[in-house]
Amino acid sequence: MNVVIAYIRFIDAFNRRVGRFAMYLIFVLMGVLLWSSVTKYAGMPALWTLEAAQFVMVAYYTLGGAYSMQMGDHVRMDLLYGGLSHRRKAMIDGISILFLIFYLFVLLYGGISSTTYAIEYGERAHSVWRPYMWPVKLIGTVGILFMLLQAIAEFLRDILYLRGTSINHASEAGL
Amino acid sequence: MSYELIALFMFASMMALLLTGQRVFGVIGAVAVIAALPLWGTGGVEIAFAQSIKLMKWYPLLTLPMFIYMGYMLSESRIADDLYRMFHVWFGPIPGGLAIGTIGLMVIISAMNGLSVAGMAIGATIALPELLRRGYDKQMITGVIQGGSSLGILIPPSVVLVLYGMIARQPVSQLWLAGVFPGLLMAALFVVYIAVRCRIQPELGPPLSREERDSITWSERFKLLRAGILPFMIFFLMNGLFLMGITSLVESSAVGALAATLAAVFKRRLTKEVFENTVRKTLGISCMFMWIILAALCFGAVFDGLGAVRAIENFFLGRLGLEPWQVLVLMQLSFLLMGTFLDDTAMLVIVAPLYVPLVKALGFDLVWYGVLYTITCQIAYMTPPFGYNLFLMRAMSPPEIKLTDIYMSVIPFVAVMLITLIIVMLFPELALWLPEQFRGKLQG
Repeated sequence: MNVVIAYIRFIDAFNRRVGRFAMYLIFVLMGVLLWSSVTKYAGMPALWTLEAAQFVMVAYYTLGGAYSMQMGDHVRMDLLYGGLSHRRKAMIDGISILFLIFYLFVLLYGGISSTTYAIEYGERAHSVWRPYMWPVKLIGTVGILFMLLQAIAEFLRDILYLRGTSINHASEAGL
Repeated sequence: MSYELIALFMFASMMALLLTGQRVFGVIGAVAVIAALPLWGTGGVEIAFAQSIKLMKWYPLLTLPMFIYMGYMLSESRIADDLYRMFHVWFGPIPGGLAIGTIGLMVIISAMNGLSVAGMAIGATIALPELLRRGYDKQMITGVIQGGSSLGILIPPSVVLVLYGMIARQPVSQLWLAGVFPGLLMAALFVVYIAVRCRIQPELGPPLSREERDSITWSERFKLLRAGILPFMIFFLMNGLFLMGITSLVESSAVGALAATLAAVFKRRLTKEVFENTVRKTLGISCMFMWIILAALCFGAVFDGLGAVRAIENFFLGRLGLEPWQVLVLMQLSFLLMGTFLDDTAMLVIVAPLYVPLVKALGFDLVWYGVLYTITCQIAYMTPPFGYNLFLMRAMSPPEIKLTDIYMSVIPFVAVMLITLIIVMLFPELALWLPEQFRGKLQG
């Protein structure tokens, strides 16, 4: 029991940190795009900006995914769900989240296989800049892994709640 | 099992799982991968992740976090507050004038951001309490704010049209330009509705009293016009540079985000709290969108593989023997119907991939359909029981606005939107003239 509580607390705190880091990548993205327009206006367009911006974007939403799940930003269709008691919600969520976990698991599997391929064969993008593809795939896969760990934490939180132990989200506790 | 049956089964299980209230992206993704595994075996496992690369390579999607950031920066730092006062003073003297002014405000805010949330925030927190105090009818102004703020997704920049562009493989710049005139037409029809209604029933929107009007000097009035300078500069930096061909679409979105930030700094409104809220909410909403799109792309890929689109096409054209126009009308009707009870974001990414290939097969212009699609989304945003705007409105408005008020208030505005939809259907030139002028001259 204590191990489960410790896991939830750890994952919450960890993903919060990762998410808080990812949150500021919006400025990196903005900077890259502005640099792109400046260099183009100056007549010597940078060749790397488009792909670099795309890589930052991948990091932004995969690494930020778990934190946004903590904050409850992933929309639900709450026609029936919205009116339920906390206990009912935990019951239904505890079952239906298994689907979400399965999806993330398949995503992770595909990510690992795609990343190992990219590393083994030194896969590069088909462009002038020709960046290696493994770093972005690795970041994406790691982000999916964190998301999966968070989803499992949410599942355990539901189970614990039904057994009488309530562990709030760190963000809800005002941290 | 035949492919059609699998497709039907996928759709039905998705709807059932959505009803459990699980996170939308998880439901869509799970149904997709569960269907993919038996169909393609081990190859099916790769489909889910492969979509993330497809998503990454779709360049215009980079505008999404930028416009979300911009919208939150504008609403959190409240730089549009002054703008509200400007409209208030200039339009106040006529019956229903404040409501008309609010529509004007919404048009300007829509031209600076791509979602309805910024207009909604400003409308519900500033315009709504003020108009209530002035004795405006609460259902009238609740509708004004919901209808007005929904213009955010039709008047460029528009996040919805960015997503549509991805699905329909149409240049986003063409789609945005196509949204300009229909958006302005809809705003104009809103104004006509308010003006006529308030002429017949003046008690719904009393004009400013004479004493109050006289208390504002003309020099003050002209000073207030300066409030328009800042939004105009943001608008020019973002759209002007793009239309002159200096920046690409994606670069313009970054310029717009920077301009909004600088405007907040200049107005001394960029506090630590505003900064934190803007950046955090941008992450949350961007992630929500991206994960849903990721899952929906997977769903779409599996659905495509099943040939479901062709099955639907055969059903409409072959078995029912309908004319293309009749199919189009039927599609819009079913879209509206689904929009009333399906989650909006899910509808955006699930229904569009089904309909767009059909529209293309029927021989209609996909840029024009993008506008029809967006107007339908706007209506879906506002129709109970699910509506993004309805929920936002309930969360943001003062307690005297009841849920029934919010539901009742949208009726006339939805009617105006339907009229606009029909006008654009009958006169495609309304949408297509402007993009035609710029075809091939813009980057992205």
